[in-house]
Amino acid sequence: MSAARALLDSLGRPGDIRLGTARPDAITRLPTGLSVLDEALGGGLPRGRITELAGPRSTGRTGLACAIAAHATAKGETIAWIDPADALDPDAAAKAGITLAQTLWVRPRSTEDALRAAEIVLGAGGFGLVVLDTDSTRSGAGRWPRLARAAERTRATLLVVAPRRDAGTFAALGLELTARRVRWSKEPGQLGLLEGVDARIMIARSRIGRPGRTLVVRQACA
Amino acid sequence: MSRIACLLVPDLAIAAACRADPDLAGLPLALSDGVGTHAPVVAASAKARERGVTPGRHTVAQARAIAADLVVRPRDAAVERSAVLALVDVAASLASRIEAAADGAVFLDAEGASHLVATETGLATALVARAARVGLGARAGVGASMTVARLAALRGDVVPAGTELGFLAPLPLSCVAPDPTLAATLERWGVRRLGDLARLPAAEVGTRLGPAGAALVRAARGEDERPLAPQPVRGAVEEAISLEFALDTIEPLLFVLRGLLDRIVARVGLDGIGVARLRLVLGLDDRSRDERTIPLAAPTRDLKTLLTCLRIELEARPPRAAIVRMTLAAEPASVRAAQLGLFHPPGPAPEQLATTIARLAVLCGPDRVGAPVPVDTHRPGAAAVAPFTGANGATRPSPGGCHLVVRAVRPPRPVEVFCDRDRPDFVRGAGLGGRVVGAAGPWRLVAEWWSDGACARDYYDLELSDGGIYRCYREQRSARWFVDGVYD
Repeated sequence: MSAARALLDSLGRPGDIRLGTARPDAITRLPTGLSVLDEALGGGLPRGRITELAGPRSTGRTGLACAIAAHATAKGETIAWIDPADALDPDAAAKAGITLAQTLWVRPRSTEDALRAAEIVLGAGGFGLVVLDTDSTRSGAGRWPRLARAAERTRATLLVVAPRRDAGTFAALGLELTARRVRWSKEPGQLGLLEGVDARIMIARSRIGRPGRTLVVRQACA
Repeated sequence: MSRIACLLVPDLAIAAACRADPDLAGLPLALSDGVGTHAPVVAASAKARERGVTPGRHTVAQARAIAADLVVRPRDAAVERSAVLALVDVAASLASRIEAAADGAVFLDAEGASHLVATETGLATALVARAARVGLGARAGVGASMTVARLAALRGDVVPAGTELGFLAPLPLSCVAPDPTLAATLERWGVRRLGDLARLPAAEVGTRLGPAGAALVRAARGEDERPLAPQPVRGAVEEAISLEFALDTIEPLLFVLRGLLDRIVARVGLDGIGVARLRLVLGLDDRSRDERTIPLAAPTRDLKTLLTCLRIELEARPPRAAIVRMTLAAEPASVRAAQLGLFHPPGPAPEQLATTIARLAVLCGPDRVGAPVPVDTHRPGAAAVAPFTGANGATRPSPGGCHLVVRAVRPPRPVEVFCDRDRPDFVRGAGLGGRVVGAAGPWRLVAEWWSDGACARDYYDLELSDGGIYRCYREQRSARWFVDGVYD
């Protein structure tokens, strides 16, 4: 009985469709490769939408973005990494599992150029994931509607990695890394080894699910 | 029996001028050999001829007296050459054996094109349609020989095999352009049509009129003096123009360049390929030349991208004098092909990707777009880019897990580090600062000691009270501290 109900839910019940109205497209997902996060997000990041990944310095937002990019390239997706800060270390990215040959690395000279580059890449189509890794997106307030439209048109996931969320209502999903614990091999204050960081991720905004859920992702040094 | 197709443009000089400046199309246009009122008119459009302007007879002043609304332009050899090359490109897009005649007609082996176009009528239609795409109103014909094909092209006809004599017979003798002396002799003989001449024995005519007479008889029978001599035609796609007035500002210059680019893109598009490199040669007002090459990040046919590349190049290095002549050559290259996989997500379309990379290269710089490549060095954070091909990789298991990665700080940022008993205790620098709450290290790194770029550093991982975890090092030589990465 539940299987039949699930089938009806996915296909639509008789009489659900009103004449003259188009049935909204189901939002497909780009899995992140992290089972905890995928389960919380209902399958992954929404395709054709803007997702923001925000958090202060050293909370692991770049590591999380790398993990998502690594899973995408592992599944054969072509991705783009727009990096106005010129902060991507190819060696670290390769160690995180990103297939570099499937990654278009763009290093604009300013945030404004980075937003323009993101629009160009999204407009090209065929990129499953576009990561916009920037320290500030405040100058691009007028660009968000265009980026949202471009992402929707080409079904690409635009992942904005920044210290704070700036896209406002144009982002379908907002993830915030709010707290963390740094793990050292010895007690703080003594020289030892950096083992990793425990990042706490909060779903701060979700237009396609329920926000407010918090989960912890453990990040180890590569 | 071989089959030859001919592609030609009647009034090539006029057609070339109209191709370079589309506003001239439909006007009573005359081309002069030189400038000034005494320059002779060497070509006239149909509307100008209707008004009585005759090339070779009138000067510019006389032609203007005959037709007050006549538009006169000096004849531009560069523009005509570009038009002929465009015709050659049209032929080359359908056949590999091509010969360009001195008068601008282009002959091609029709049998070689049979795998692309099934019928000869279809081939003629395709040639005319493609010529229209490059801005030329051409005519095409097919026949058993170059002579027949040329005459068929003038009538826009296809002469089936075995019917050549019947096709040629009613045509006037002037079709084969006899020498005036020979033409007068043949006129006295009562030979006025090609059929009349073809019936005469060639050896007898040769005895009386010499080798030229025998050649004329063979031409009247549709026989060629020599077979098709194919020429290598593929090379840089070139368009040129001479300007009436010197240009000394960038906007009008780009306006003219846009026209040249437009025609180049149309020619390159015949083969579905892109432009990999542009070469711009400017003839300057001080009689010098300015030559520059503009490489593109990837082959593309996107007009906007190409024009932007030219604009950036010209704005960065303006020519030293006003411009009177320009030649734009494009090096054609295949747009990268990609094989889509049945079980892989579709990647970017190759041509779209090429255009995208070219646009990004214009925006960011060509060395700042590509696939990241680790550099074979011990120096942390070293990076390079390789051309991005957009190759779709095979699906493989996900690496899983989430790793802390280092965000590189390029170039390394100098910081002040205060130590307590040789251990970092407080760090202060641009955009960061605080007491050290966690530390690891040092690790000594000595790299490239054999070169001028040698480095000897002691590395530390420092967690500061501002929340950041930094990768810092101290240069052994200078004892200065730097941050070259942030764990994130």
